[in-house]
Amino acid sequence: MSIVADLMNLPGVIAAGEYAFRGDRYSYRGQLTEDQARMCTILCRASTMGIVMQGRMAETALPGAGIRPRGWAMRGPEHAMCVVGNVFCVMKNQSGTMDSVLARLNTAMADVDMHLV
Amino acid sequence: MIKRLLAVDGVLAVCRFRDDGGMVESYGVGLDQDQLGKLSLVAHEYRRMLQGHADLFSMFTNMRGWTPPRGWAVRGEKLTLCGVAGVVCILDNAEADYDEVLKDMIEIAHW
Amino acid sequence: MARLGNLLDQPGVLAAFEFRASGELLDHELRAGSPITTDILELLASMCAANVSICGMQARGWEKLTGMSGFSNVREFTLVGFDWSVVVSCAQREAQRAAGQETIAPYQGVVLINRDARYEAACKALEA
Repeated sequence: MSIVADLMNLPGVIAAGEYAFRGDRYSYRGQLTEDQARMCTILCRASTMGIVMQGRMAETALPGAGIRPRGWAMRGPEHAMCVVGNVFCVMKNQSGTMDSVLARLNTAMADVDMHLV
Repeated sequence: MIKRLLAVDGVLAVCRFRDDGGMVESYGVGLDQDQLGKLSLVAHEYRRMLQGHADLFSMFTNMRGWTPPRGWAVRGEKLTLCGVAGVVCILDNAEADYDEVLKDMIEIAHW
Repeated sequence: MARLGNLLDQPGVLAAFEFRASGELLDHELRAGSPITTDILELLASMCAANVSICGMQARGWEKLTGMSGFSNVREFTLVGFDWSVVVSCAQREAQRAAGQETIAPYQGVVLINRDARYEAACKALEA
């Protein structure tokens, strides 16, 4: 099963999808309009680029420290969003959802090449 | 070509880098080649991140005219870091005419 | 601390605004006929607050790495967009912080039309 299908099976997950690190291609499943999904992927791309850049700078300053960001998460009052590599997931902020999503994302995206960001 | 910028008052260092952040050419006072290489990488990463932020801002506000961004500047107490396309400069605030350098950079970066 | 109304007198300024480090817009003035709106400034304030923080982190990192001082503390951040630019300043805050004042001024910024922008004048006005 693809990681996106896997995430969609988890309770509380509203939408999940993949986006290209470069360019504007994306695909998604779940309760988002086409426009919301497009905006979501632009947001993912910009934020991922930001954290990867900061990680690279930290790596330059502290070589070998192992600071190589692969993802990020933000948690609001009702919804949360997790991104690892080029996969994003939007979910309800309910008990256990974020942990399950991140656990699956971390496993599935263990070999993602962040140099492509 | 970018060497011309070093002749402008207050320009301490100038680098041109490729789309992958690799340095193409660089000149600087008080910075070695390794540091100039790092400057290219920082400028490249920063430019891409800022481009992402500008895209987001443009998308959220629906206002045209912000993207694609032409450049950026970070002004510190004594120095300013200034980037336009694949060119980045370090300026001495006391000596450089900020507007003049930015204008020259916009011209040179698009050669 | 510059008055927002006075900042509007600078060349090319379409709007002047104040915001917290958290990105919350506190106050603003718009030039008559400006295409900038309060909604736009609210988002712009958030984006600028994020970028000033990132610049601060980068400036410190760069200084540590290269030993080249002079960037910290960051005074102004500028984004030159395709038609518009924004310049935000934290110079006042840094001066107040250095002087050990208890209350710190908000960030101030201006939105400029590139055609008429004078960036250095904008920085000076924001530091006044």
